[in-house]
Amino acid sequence: MLRIEGLNAAYDSIQVLKNVSLKVPKGKVVSIIGANGAGKSTLLKSISGLMNISKGSIFYKDKDIAGMPANRIVGLGISQVPEGRQIFAHLSVLDNIHLGAYLYFKRNNRLEIKKRVDRIYEIFPILETRSKQIAGTLSGGEQQMLAIARALMARPEMLLLDEPSMGIAPLIVREIFNVIQQLNESGTTILLVEQNARAALKVAHHSYVLERGEVVMEGLAGELLNNPRVKEVYLGG
Amino acid sequence: MIFSPPEAGKPFTNKIPQVHLREFHKIVTRFYSMETITLSGQLFQYLITGITVGSVYAMVAVGFNIIYNVTEIINFAQGEFVMLGGLIMVFFHVVMGLPLIMAFPATVILVMLVGILLDRLAIRPIRQPSVLTLIIATIAASILLKGAAMFIWGKDPYDLPAFSGRNPITVFGAVIQPQYLWVIGFLIVIVIVLSIFFDRTIIGKAMSACADNPNAASLVGINVKQMILLSFALSAAIGAVAGITVTPISLMEYDRGAMLAVKGFGAAILGGLGSFPGAILGGLIMGTIESFGAGVISSGYKDAFALIVLLIVLFFRPSGILGSIEISKIKRF
Repeated sequence: MLRIEGLNAAYDSIQVLKNVSLKVPKGKVVSIIGANGAGKSTLLKSISGLMNISKGSIFYKDKDIAGMPANRIVGLGISQVPEGRQIFAHLSVLDNIHLGAYLYFKRNNRLEIKKRVDRIYEIFPILETRSKQIAGTLSGGEQQMLAIARALMARPEMLLLDEPSMGIAPLIVREIFNVIQQLNESGTTILLVEQNARAALKVAHHSYVLERGEVVMEGLAGELLNNPRVKEVYLGG
Repeated sequence: MIFSPPEAGKPFTNKIPQVHLREFHKIVTRFYSMETITLSGQLFQYLITGITVGSVYAMVAVGFNIIYNVTEIINFAQGEFVMLGGLIMVFFHVVMGLPLIMAFPATVILVMLVGILLDRLAIRPIRQPSVLTLIIATIAASILLKGAAMFIWGKDPYDLPAFSGRNPITVFGAVIQPQYLWVIGFLIVIVIVLSIFFDRTIIGKAMSACADNPNAASLVGINVKQMILLSFALSAAIGAVAGITVTPISLMEYDRGAMLAVKGFGAAILGGLGSFPGAILGGLIMGTIESFGAGVISSGYKDAFALIVLLIVLFFRPSGILGSIEISKIKRF
């Protein structure tokens, strides 16, 4: 579904991604693990259009989307849950959810939007009780749920998740990973970037290991879980 | 008291020759009509003038906030929108003779176009912009607009007929021009329209989202550049309304923009940069202080009062009356 070939990206003169190639097959969960600063977030930003790439191609459904602005990529069916949640802190929870379906609002499809909001409340019941609250006052875990909810409002075929476990209590992390699994079971393709390698490998079918901007390892997630090097560096021995 | 009041039914003197009597009568009536302006009437007069002037400042401040909220830019050409509003209205209404109802929207649309051009020609082409470079670009634009206005209209101030005549209304001993009510009324209309726009429409929410987090906004499909364009158009429209409504009171000339921008900026800071209720409150306070200062102390220092208030706020409470300190810490400017 998504195919990246020879991707290079740089901030000013510092090269962050070097010749990264990877594939995300339809209906699968693919995870990218790596240390802080390995270029994981940059990779996701390149796909979602927030980052200008210097070389390479990104094919989504066999169409090269490299260089397309972020606001058009959402329309193709790729939604990103950005790193650090990045919810609209000064708006209400419901406004945040609604803005996720911004492109559908423009088509003025109120009934469809209502249906989607109800579906979101089924997945994250807590958001319904908080719907009037200002989003910035939510707890970290709730904000992460809101960020995922906002991305889901666009009904993406493919969901890009950037560090969904960052700064969140372990119990909530488990809940969020359960949701990720559910979403995948209902047909959403998922590309997950995660420092919490154990959680990422458990939920994924296939995984890539990124080090200093390069893919150094790839394989079935189950195999990587048992790989001695991965164990040593990413799973704490 | 030199003259005692004439008693009803009695001619107050017949020793003075007839020809002088009429003059004398005029002086007496004028004297007594002045006497009826009581202190409270006087203060009310200052207040109502202050609120009117303050309404204009509030409109300018709201214009600042709209652009600031989406881009974090302080648009120093905001005052130029007001000036253009006034002068273009003079052109449509007085020179071309278009009726008010047509000249008004035509002016607003034309000034909106100027706002759109400002974004397209001065803001958007700047590559890798920092907030400061963008602000400097708006200063350049304001100088350019001022120069263009001087070239077109010259240096003379222009008058515009008041919307509903110039017969003053007397309320509580204060003399009110009907145009004052138009200015205040339009501020109220702007407040209502904007609060509906930002609280109830998805485009309004999308604009707030851009202010909050432009990257996240583009991730949900919002075209941030379009929202910036819209913010400039909207601010220009509000500036135009301010200019159109205030010109019948204070006339308008090519270089009025800078001072209006300073006062409006002061109002926005006073109320808390980015806050719409703050902008209204700040504008009204600014106008009232100026009006009382001019009336009670000296009109020569009229502009100084507003600036002193601005400085005091910047020294002691930079986040403004309604601004949150937390938010002002996050903001880049």
